[in-house]
Amino acid sequence: MKDIFTIVFRLTVACLLAGLVMGATFIFTDQAKKHNEHAREQKAMLGLLGYSANKPPPAGLTMHALYRYIVSEGREVSMGYLLPTKDRAFVFVAIALDGTFRNATPVALDPAKAGEEGEREKALAAALGPGKELRYAEQTLVVTEDGVRRAYLLSGRFPGFKTFISMLIALEPDFTIRGLEVMEHEEDPGLGAEITQDYFKKQFSGKPFARLKELAVVKTPLPAEYQQALEAEKRGGLDPAAAAAIMDQYRDHDIYALTGATISSRAVTNGVKAMVGKFTYRLAILDRVLAEEQIAAPF
Amino acid sequence: MKIKMGTDLFFGQPVRCSATIAPAKNKSVPIFVLALFCLALLPGFARAEGMISQTGFSGEREISLSFSQPLAPEVAGNPASYVVYEEADPDIRLAVSEVALAADQRSAVLTFAAPLNTLQPHVVALPALTPAGAEVETFRVSKPYLGYLLSILISALLINNFVFTKYLGLCVFFGTSKRKDTAKGMGFTFTLVIVVSAIMSWFFYQFILKPFHLNFLQIVIFIGLVSLTVQAVDTVLRKVNPALFRAFGVYLVLVIANCIIIAVPLILADNEYNFFETFMLSLGAGGGFLLALYLMSSVRERMELANIPPAFKGIPIAFIVAGQFALAFLGFSGLNLF
Amino acid sequence: MATDKSNFQLVVNGILNENPIFRLVLSMCPAVGISTTVMNGFMLGIAVLFVQVFSSCTIALFQNKIHPRIRIPTYTLTIATWVTVIDLVLAAYLPEAYAKMGIFVKLIVAFAIITMRLEMFASKESVTASFWDGIGMGLGFMFGMMALGFVRELLGLGTILGYDVLGFKPLLFFVLPFAGFFCVGLMMAFFNYLESVYKRAKQRV
Repeated sequence: MKDIFTIVFRLTVACLLAGLVMGATFIFTDQAKKHNEHAREQKAMLGLLGYSANKPPPAGLTMHALYRYIVSEGREVSMGYLLPTKDRAFVFVAIALDGTFRNATPVALDPAKAGEEGEREKALAAALGPGKELRYAEQTLVVTEDGVRRAYLLSGRFPGFKTFISMLIALEPDFTIRGLEVMEHEEDPGLGAEITQDYFKKQFSGKPFARLKELAVVKTPLPAEYQQALEAEKRGGLDPAAAAAIMDQYRDHDIYALTGATISSRAVTNGVKAMVGKFTYRLAILDRVLAEEQIAAPF
Repeated sequence: MKIKMGTDLFFGQPVRCSATIAPAKNKSVPIFVLALFCLALLPGFARAEGMISQTGFSGEREISLSFSQPLAPEVAGNPASYVVYEEADPDIRLAVSEVALAADQRSAVLTFAAPLNTLQPHVVALPALTPAGAEVETFRVSKPYLGYLLSILISALLINNFVFTKYLGLCVFFGTSKRKDTAKGMGFTFTLVIVVSAIMSWFFYQFILKPFHLNFLQIVIFIGLVSLTVQAVDTVLRKVNPALFRAFGVYLVLVIANCIIIAVPLILADNEYNFFETFMLSLGAGGGFLLALYLMSSVRERMELANIPPAFKGIPIAFIVAGQFALAFLGFSGLNLF
Repeated sequence: MATDKSNFQLVVNGILNENPIFRLVLSMCPAVGISTTVMNGFMLGIAVLFVQVFSSCTIALFQNKIHPRIRIPTYTLTIATWVTVIDLVLAAYLPEAYAKMGIFVKLIVAFAIITMRLEMFASKESVTASFWDGIGMGLGFMFGMMALGFVRELLGLGTILGYDVLGFKPLLFFVLPFAGFFCVGLMMAFFNYLESVYKRAKQRV
């Protein structure tokens, strides 16, 4: 009997010690993790827009975050968009499922803290009052330069061959694909992992929205000249003018599948199609509502 | 000397199975399978009756519907009276381009302007036929749920076999695949423990870790539950069926050194599986491990008689064989049954 | 019982005589799964080294306080704690390398090598000896992984640490996932062969 007490006591002490170590590490690393993730995302976004450390973005360039929420009140579901207004405040626009405007509620939120999910939730709960259940869906960035829309940045994830693939897509204002970046994936090295390579992901660049809707994956081998053009940014690649000419020639072509990874290639193509398709559908509704209700958005 | 003890733990002589366990096993297996089947069928019965009695995808761009009573053609034949969307995105209405109403007005096929993502469940509603003020009735269109569950099982068993395509659990795999008896013993013990521990992990994850934002404790909690399961099975088996314990007891210790046992809870937490999906995934993982062990042990028993270069004897040739199995299992990838 | 080996011998022992991958044949999952590049091998090696050293020291420090009947659960708890720590640290400070290793960092908790060294060595020896033993085992694992990564990266991608050295891809086969099995088998056979040649040479002298 005495044995049991010592065992229980020692196990408890061990668990407490372990908990202490893990808790301390968690608190210590959590901030750094968030910061690094944010920095990585920011870098990828600027990269897609064509800026880097050597070529900093112009001062007039701003990114406006648009957060989408699914609002349920009892059995009724509606879409909610949290967006900034011109006078650096925030407004929550609720839109019914059939696209009609419901209401707009001003939200008191510090712009510096808007990037944090917890802060947003607190501010929204205070502004909307009780009885509404909010589920965060995704964020989209609208990039403007001196008040004119320059690009859209969408982030999302979809199932790949093995697990989920996280993707960042940059669109022109007319929804032509500007470029895409794979943020996370667990595809097989040498096969599906090639989706991160320029010769695959650059195939999407410059595809107009109308073409994207019908985009398919073909299993024919990638032509050598097209591959050279796609990899023009590598050391010793083609000069930009020649690469652009070849890229133009293949603009309307379908996506060439990766050798031995047709499923991954198809997953990415369908995922990109779905992400862009849904975004354009939603943006059209949101833009119409903003114009009708005269909500002053900075984009 | 120390190394010898350590390696003995994994590569020692196989333990002989006693003959007394055979009848006990034979009796319990059919009952177990039956219980499994009933459990898998359960969600199939939970279907609401309404205006639309049956739904399903009939092609890339088509959804077929059966109505419980004949509907007026001016409503049921009009593409504008249908509201269809993916369950996850209720605000995005999919454009119905054409409706083909059957002559008896009891079924219809909707054709869409764009291809559907048939992996996602869709929702169909007919607001025009709902009396004013009443709640609009919605109907779910999805691939058969049972088929989805079976696809998880088959996927974990063959397509994404944990040993041959995810390269997990190899220490125990190479250690216990020398004899068929050992392979079977290890496989069955492992399947039992993984099913029990994965279900417990699912409860902990859904009701404790997730609501309280304790996700960083995943590893500790999951491995703790595995140890607990091993200890519990050990104690219960020792009391209830000593013969079975003598046969399978030794493998219990090895279960905890198998990466699969901790990978499965981590995967189901990542994918947000529900209870039935968790059960199927863990069953597939355990069954896949059993299958891999059995295949491997059959080859290795034969290989002892073969003339192998001395440098390759033992473990190296086993790795080469496992590589060939992995190549063969690659052929299952892309298999789409349901 | 105290070990009669010097600290240096303990480290060498872990790297050569008792190399976790090629001699003890433990922790094979990462050796097959993610040894596709030298960098991957190095990163996971660092993580294992950290967990092995810290767990060994913790157990050696508290060896008298651990009740013999709950020995294994205590080991598991210790390992799981340090794995959580390294997992959080890697995720925070090296997110890109962490993404490449995927689930394997978390799976260190089920690596047989660590539990075995705790049971065989750290629970009986002094803290210093356990520390050096942990270093040896961790380095042994790291070198094994890096050797595999070297072969696979050089033959499969024609690069070393991401730098193009060959200019072409000799055998893409080696970098494909299942080739890990063949690579480990062939390298093990190669080391066995070296050993037999060495022994024969010794006998002749």
